[in-house]
Amino acid sequence: MFQHLTSAISQVLPEVVFLAAACVNLAVGPFLIGDDGTGPKGLRHRWGAWSLIALTIAAWLQCVPAPVVEATGLAPFLSDSLVSFVRLVTTVTGVVLVLINWNQIEERDSAESHACLLFILAGANLIALSNDLIILFLALELVSIPTYLFLYVARRDRSGQESTLKYFLLSVFSSALVLYGFSILYGVAGTTNLTALHLVFKNHQLTTMPAMLLVSIVTIVAGLAFRITAVPFHFYAPDVFQGTANSAAALLSVVPKVAGFIALVRILGQPSITAAIHLEYWSLASKSGGLLYLLAVATMFVGNLLALLQTNMRRLLAYSSIAHAGYMLVGLSVAVSVPQINDDATAASAGSVNGLPALLFYLGVYGLTTLGVFALIASLSRPERPLETISDLAGLSKTHPAGAFLAAVLLFGLTGLPPTAGFLGKLTLFLSAWSHSTEGRTLAICLAINAAIAAWYYLRLIGVMYLQSSCDDTRRATGVPAFVGVSLCAVASIALFFAPDWLWQALQRVGS
Amino acid sequence: MSELTPALLWLIPVAPLLASIFIAFFGKALLRGRSHVPCVTALAISTLCAGSLMLMFLAAPSQLKPDPNTNSLHQRPSEHALQPVLTTPGYAWAETADLNVRLDLQMDAMTAIMLCMVTFVSLLVSIYASGYMHGDPGYPRFFAAFALFVFSMCMLVLADNYLTMFIFWEGVGLCSYLLIGFWFQKPSAAAAARKAFVVNRVGDFGFILGVFLIWKTFGTVRFADVFELIPHVAETNPGIFTTICLLLFLGAMGKSAQFPLHVWLPDAMEGPTPVSALIHAATMVTAGVYMVARSTPLFVMSPTAQMVVSGIGAITALLAALTALTQYDLKRVLAYSTVSQLGYMFMALGAASVSPKLATFAVTAAMFHLFTHAFFKALLFLGAGSVMHSMGNVIDMRRFSGLRDVMPHTRITFLIGSLTLAGCPLLSGFWSKDEILVALFEGTKAGGHETFFMVILGVAVLTAFLTAFYSFRAYNMTFLGEERFPEEAHHPHESPPTMTLPLFVLAGFSLVIGLFLGPTGVYARQLAQSTSLPGHGDHPHNILLMALSAAIFCGGYGLARWMYVKSPAVSAGLERGLKPLHRLSLNKFFLDELFNYLLVIPVKVLALLCTLFDKYLLDGLLNFAGSIPSTIGRIVRPIQNGLVSHYAWVMLLGVVLFLIQMLRALAG
Repeated sequence: MFQHLTSAISQVLPEVVFLAAACVNLAVGPFLIGDDGTGPKGLRHRWGAWSLIALTIAAWLQCVPAPVVEATGLAPFLSDSLVSFVRLVTTVTGVVLVLINWNQIEERDSAESHACLLFILAGANLIALSNDLIILFLALELVSIPTYLFLYVARRDRSGQESTLKYFLLSVFSSALVLYGFSILYGVAGTTNLTALHLVFKNHQLTTMPAMLLVSIVTIVAGLAFRITAVPFHFYAPDVFQGTANSAAALLSVVPKVAGFIALVRILGQPSITAAIHLEYWSLASKSGGLLYLLAVATMFVGNLLALLQTNMRRLLAYSSIAHAGYMLVGLSVAVSVPQINDDATAASAGSVNGLPALLFYLGVYGLTTLGVFALIASLSRPERPLETISDLAGLSKTHPAGAFLAAVLLFGLTGLPPTAGFLGKLTLFLSAWSHSTEGRTLAICLAINAAIAAWYYLRLIGVMYLQSSCDDTRRATGVPAFVGVSLCAVASIALFFAPDWLWQALQRVGS
Repeated sequence: MSELTPALLWLIPVAPLLASIFIAFFGKALLRGRSHVPCVTALAISTLCAGSLMLMFLAAPSQLKPDPNTNSLHQRPSEHALQPVLTTPGYAWAETADLNVRLDLQMDAMTAIMLCMVTFVSLLVSIYASGYMHGDPGYPRFFAAFALFVFSMCMLVLADNYLTMFIFWEGVGLCSYLLIGFWFQKPSAAAAARKAFVVNRVGDFGFILGVFLIWKTFGTVRFADVFELIPHVAETNPGIFTTICLLLFLGAMGKSAQFPLHVWLPDAMEGPTPVSALIHAATMVTAGVYMVARSTPLFVMSPTAQMVVSGIGAITALLAALTALTQYDLKRVLAYSTVSQLGYMFMALGAASVSPKLATFAVTAAMFHLFTHAFFKALLFLGAGSVMHSMGNVIDMRRFSGLRDVMPHTRITFLIGSLTLAGCPLLSGFWSKDEILVALFEGTKAGGHETFFMVILGVAVLTAFLTAFYSFRAYNMTFLGEERFPEEAHHPHESPPTMTLPLFVLAGFSLVIGLFLGPTGVYARQLAQSTSLPGHGDHPHNILLMALSAAIFCGGYGLARWMYVKSPAVSAGLERGLKPLHRLSLNKFFLDELFNYLLVIPVKVLALLCTLFDKYLLDGLLNFAGSIPSTIGRIVRPIQNGLVSHYAWVMLLGVVLFLIQMLRALAG
């Protein structure tokens, strides 16, 4: 019993570090605040540094190879290459989010805010680690619940309260959907362990597919589609992004997406190609392909078309994040469905890009780029001189040349132009879809059309920054920590273009 | 070979690249007047690396052992003796099963020679430019583009396949465009830059088509693989070689300014003079020659293409030399002289088809002339720049004369340059030109195209005479005669040491390099190890031709001296007497006007029609198409009304719709 427990804990050491650090925040934080409810000056710097220390220790623990646990298959946690990828993404995301949050948070709230962030990161990692429906649900909630608090703490005015409440209500609704789906899944398969669950379907213990399973697929996908802002579960995103603080919007644009996609990958599993050739075969994955196809098309088009009309920066980025979720759904849809095997399309089976690595690569690249844009807004925005609407960007090339340059690099990345990693992300997604099947080709074409539409509003931002002049020509002040985050993201986005193998080789192992 | 070798090889292009990036980012804010420092330092590093690798090559052939490690020198299995190639597995950008993009460097003897020349000349020119460009508001911009050019040029010669070569071929073209239009405020400079770019586009179009055709025919674009597959393709599809070679040569014609695509080069003199010296005389314009020489194994398969190469070379050499006779702009004289000398090189390259034994010799002659030409033409341009610097940017030879006392250093080095260009015996131009004449002479003896090469040889001899004449015409008009200055020149003075030092170094090289490397056979032996050449062949000498070219030199020199120093009245009289011919030459055979009427104006009319079509028909359609997304967006927008209950309902609706969809799929 204890042996099981220690072996399980040894697999989740980085997450334990996150949780422990967060508990320290919550335990110590209240004592550092004065009686009048305000924190001493510089408190937020200390908590920010503390978060960075926790992230560094966790990153170091990730590099240390975990003790080999004999694969019983029924353990609650499962470490594989997907986990190491997710941990890498959350670490980098965490660092940038801490930097964005650094100066944005009030001194008195800094302990809670950073604690929430660490909880959320631990939750995201645990989603990848979990091998059990119950653990998976708990991990999803470990992301959601601190997010509500994080949203509220970051901005407490009326619009902040409104958006927090909106997010809370709809998120609870989606969690309920997911839980409903899980319970049906348990009812059908008789187990909550994911490995066992997939084995039940693979071994043909159920010769015909129960219709209830379809219900569970729909509710699980719908519930998680809320996290990844897929249409029509996206409505909260623009309102919440606009109403909340930059750090919270940055968090919402990345972490729930990572959580949602990884959870979907874990639950749906991957199609077995060899089985598909020989047998009348089905699995959770193969049955959900059509659904994800619809989601992908709707999400791409709605996200991009509505983004065209936006004037508020964060609202625009909300729609942009919806559109990017659509692109990633293309990868997921390709990853879960069985590739079409024609006589002439032997390439589809062998050398082509797989959907799953393409999706994960894009997830990482998108996360970096979009966090960079939010970090930039957070860095340059001041209460007296905000960066709220697109017209606030006018003349940025004069008032803050370095910021404008980095923003241009990041927007190039979001558009998918070389020399940024965004180009490679779109390219791999496109190739994976194109070489997959006829439906895949349709998706690839939709992706290309949408990338073209998206170019319009991204490049317009660059145009506003460089071609329009602002009425106020004085230099903008720079928020240093967030600006470090911007530089980090922009440099990484260019570096990943020139050395994609750094990430890509690690991802190649995930699919197999 | 040590493990250091690949690092040295990479350092050659990377050092200028880093310098360029550094200057581009920090030049304006930090470096300003010191912007030349990173550039000169980087070029010095490159020169040292190239020089040390060259020494390795000189020492290597006997010691080379096949090495399983690809990181070092190895020998290709070949029927010919030793062909050392240094390949460095470079940077792999993307490697998946179907997509494989790599950037590898390859260095063989030909590359080594080119690299030494490019890095060394650019080092000298950059030192010169630090004096020449002093005080220019665009000082950092100049050196950023300059270093970027050297990077592209090094990568061009280091490329191990046609595609990489093409990419950096475009790279040098871009830098050339940026530097010709360096003073873009001047309309003439902007127009010249545009002209160079557009004319080059015609050639590049041919080049890329050639690369596509190579890819389609051979299934690869790597030099080594292509050359290995030649015998195989020669059996199945011998006709393809002519097409490939002609397309490649079209590219060479653009970059190396061959008739009729040579019109951009004289205009390119609008750029700063160091640029003219480096890019438009010594290095970039020789890229075409290098490319054809590199592709020798392809070209020897197609005598037709070779004859086209020779023929175009001859026409260009003669036409440009005739034009140079009457130009008054000193830099334009030199520009036409460059065009003419490039034509010379192509004449020699074309003679490679005569016999396989002669191929190596002919290519060596061309490459040797390329090599010596780089030194003395850079010297002449820098000398002209020095004059221009002193004369307040006046370069019209009618407006100044007799500068021998004011600018003694410039004068002596310019004299050495002119002597070398004119082919004064024992100087480097003499040796390389002589080798070309010998190669052409051998062509008249065998190979089945005797008459053709007889004509070419005649053109070459005539051009040599014209060259001697116009180079001394320029020298005499500038430095001899009575002392006159234009009013723009406030203080006619000798240029600063940063400018004269490179002149002396280049003059020294122009004097001796030919003698050391030519008749001794060092250069030929070295180049023969290149993978692109079919091995060491004959090295014929011809005393008679040497005597002839010495006589030609004396004739041209004497005539120029007689006409422009002893009795200037003669030249004026001749000008009047042969007025139509003079005007023809002065106006560059009206080629610009011809192109204007034949090409530019029709294209402009077409462009106008397209604009109208675009404005009134396409724009309407596009605006309509562009309004569709936002119209749809406006229709969808009201659903986003901010009410949570509403959103929840839509989510539920979504679930129900998906459920229906799934159940239908199950049923159907």
